[in-house]
Amino acid sequence: MREHDVVVVGAGLAGMRAAIAAHEAGVDVALVTKLHPVRSHSGAAQGGINAALGNETEDSTDNHTFDTVKGADYIGDQDAIEILCERAPLEVYQLEHWGAVFSRQEDSGKIAQRPFGGAGFPRTCYAADLTGLVILHTLYTVCVKYDIPTYEEWFVTDLVTDDSGNAVGVVAYDMIHGKIETIGAKAVVMATGGAGRVYRPSTNAHASTGDAMSLALRKGVPLKDMEFMQFHPTTLAANGVLVTEGARGEGGYLLNKDGDRFMSKYAPNKLELASRDVVSRAEATEIQEGRGIDGCVLLDLRHLGRDRIMERLPQIRELAIAFAGTDPIEEPIPIRPGAHYHMGGVHVDNWGAAPHMPGLFAAGECSCVSVHGANRLGGNSLLEAVVFGARAGEASAAYAQEAPAPKVPTNAADETQARIEELLSRENGPRQAEIRDELATVMQEKVGVFREDATLREAKATVDNLRQQFQGVVVDDKGKTFNTDLIHTIETGYLLDLADCMVTGAIARHESRGAHSRTDFPDRDDENWMKHTLAYLDDGEIRLDYSPVTMTKYEPQVRSY
Amino acid sequence: MASTTFRVFRYQPDSGDLATYHQDFSLDHEEKTTILDALLRIQNEQDGTLAVRYSCRSAICGSCACKVNGKTVLACMTQVEEAKAESGSDTLQVDPIGNFAPIKDLVVDMTPFWEKFKAVKPYLIPDGPAPQKERLVPKSAMEKVAKESACILCAACYSECNSLAADPEFVGPAAFAWGYRFAADERDSQRKNRAKLYSGQHGVWDCTRCMFCNERCPKGVDPRDAIEKLGAIAFQEKVTKDKGARHAKAFLISMRTGGKLNEQLVGGYTDPVGGAFNAPLALRMLQKGKLPASPLTHRVKNRDQVTKLIKNVKETI
Repeated sequence: MREHDVVVVGAGLAGMRAAIAAHEAGVDVALVTKLHPVRSHSGAAQGGINAALGNETEDSTDNHTFDTVKGADYIGDQDAIEILCERAPLEVYQLEHWGAVFSRQEDSGKIAQRPFGGAGFPRTCYAADLTGLVILHTLYTVCVKYDIPTYEEWFVTDLVTDDSGNAVGVVAYDMIHGKIETIGAKAVVMATGGAGRVYRPSTNAHASTGDAMSLALRKGVPLKDMEFMQFHPTTLAANGVLVTEGARGEGGYLLNKDGDRFMSKYAPNKLELASRDVVSRAEATEIQEGRGIDGCVLLDLRHLGRDRIMERLPQIRELAIAFAGTDPIEEPIPIRPGAHYHMGGVHVDNWGAAPHMPGLFAAGECSCVSVHGANRLGGNSLLEAVVFGARAGEASAAYAQEAPAPKVPTNAADETQARIEELLSRENGPRQAEIRDELATVMQEKVGVFREDATLREAKATVDNLRQQFQGVVVDDKGKTFNTDLIHTIETGYLLDLADCMVTGAIARHESRGAHSRTDFPDRDDENWMKHTLAYLDDGEIRLDYSPVTMTKYEPQVRSY
Repeated sequence: MASTTFRVFRYQPDSGDLATYHQDFSLDHEEKTTILDALLRIQNEQDGTLAVRYSCRSAICGSCACKVNGKTVLACMTQVEEAKAESGSDTLQVDPIGNFAPIKDLVVDMTPFWEKFKAVKPYLIPDGPAPQKERLVPKSAMEKVAKESACILCAACYSECNSLAADPEFVGPAAFAWGYRFAADERDSQRKNRAKLYSGQHGVWDCTRCMFCNERCPKGVDPRDAIEKLGAIAFQEKVTKDKGARHAKAFLISMRTGGKLNEQLVGGYTDPVGGAFNAPLALRMLQKGKLPASPLTHRVKNRDQVTKLIKNVKETI
């Protein structure tokens, strides 16, 4: 059996940052990823990373904290948000020291910062519109330099626990060599990213199937605030591909079919740079009330001019031409809200440790600390990934240094093997793609930007039905080597778990807060709902519980932009 | 709606049969469908054993490079109807990227690619401790490496690389684009060492300058330009012992003195020792008129214009 002190599952921003931190703390750490590290979806992040450097105007950690607390619609934990914003400059400088190619100010040579949604000051550091790619690559180069062992294209199928319920490793399918193996560890850090593929359209990669959340949930770990799914205001109609908030940060307008900048009605002060939930609702309202064009509104960048678009938003232009047949230099881009970022995730503390399972840590989008509450601010996801990735790396290393040798059950891989063999032996039944399609469609239609009791319950019934069908799912490919059909089938099981948590949490939350907008409960209800949702899986059913929100110095206020 | 036949490369080692073949799949699809969407529909609806790497479907993760009608593209970024219009046929042949061994169908063994990437020391090696805040870097200096920083490591350039086809050990376009990205980064301290590392055997001078990497890079990285710039850095750092560097130098001398290529001079300067053993080749070249008997015959009329050209090129590097 393979063994390391710490094993990190997922090699995007959070996973690699955690591995680097653990390596620097002196433990033997390994990365396990179902892709190659540079294929991770962090690389698709475009607009930037927030830190109150104050390079453009005066700014402060307090400003950043307040904007984040308000953006979260007051359900983020304020102590965690303070940690996020205080460490932000240090992490950005660290990335720069490791070689990240940030865009620079003209005269000073300092890191340039652009305005972003829901932020009071230009605070978003960027590398053109390739910020995620540049940071992902930077962290990968550090992993190469440190020679951190990496299990590439190993798909994790199980979280392994010992007799006392401590996390002691994972079981994974080595896709290239067609083997199932156990990797033992004193601590496991989960960093597998989001679950955007529960929806369609989604800005997320095909690989964003929320694996870690489901793996933890099945071992009794609760998931937090799962009903909060962020819909990004600007995604391409053809396939849901992201158009960065940086496009509005650089000065882009949103127009309806009459050519009106409709955001003046919904957010008279911040206009296009209100927080994402506000802008997405505004767009959805415009479209519903007949002022859209083919289910879209328009993102107009023409007035920025060719030079600015080519310098600051080159990828956006390339994607708009490739997928929408539109050159933003010449004409506005049709866009609409699309599932983008999941605020919920594995319930962890400020160090990324799961209180319900010793030895388990989580960081990045698959976790919920919570710093984003009911709505994440643009530019805070890359930040969360590096800040809490680093902290989870440090904490897991410290834990591993104290922990005894893990007692890894010797039959862990055998159980997985038997389960997969049973799955592969089935001959007649539905295939994963049918189940996945129906799931994504119902989630989009009934658990979208606006929600209400009746349709949420219909969605829940569909999810239950699909869970039933999944019991007999059939895999076409019976082979061992690079069996993507098998992987997609297992992933579909993950998506069903997570959709169930999302819908169940959404039915129960009788208020509107951040990205969770109920037409039958249009107001925020601080008296009854200022609390986190915890979802458990008990005998195949989702059970909800609640936990308090930590407040430090920011009292809830009416939220307007 | 449209209809297309996809002639897909198959290799299914699990079946026990190690033969490769092409299989036709017919698909009715919407006009706006990418090659990747089509392959995934085939996988989901017709044959779950079809293996292909993909993830982001927005041209940034670099997973899905493949050949469509012999030309390397990102499957997610290529419209089926456009590929058909280009080929004038309703059948599209889809193959794995070239220069790699197949693992299953369109999935190839990328190990050599990642090893070469790692071999160029693809990480910043600064001098001295880091400052408290960010290092100050002029905007223009950072923009110098912006193009290469956009490389997504999709290996489309390796798929098309003629040098790699001739010499599997050739380090290759993407790795050198990354090499340039660090050699030209003013925060890096290893410019000269990098010039040495990239100049040796299988290094920058082994590029055949076929330009296919520039042509087929889906992200406009222009790896050949990066290799060229690494050559210039080697000269600036006086790393010119390599045969390739000597060849380039001889070229330049020949151009400066005569205004055109002087094969005698180039051959002799590039490899003074080995060149002597190449008498039979020289004789054959002489017979075909490729090698002038006297260097004096080698002088163009408007040599000052050539000098101007050389000066212009120098200023742009």
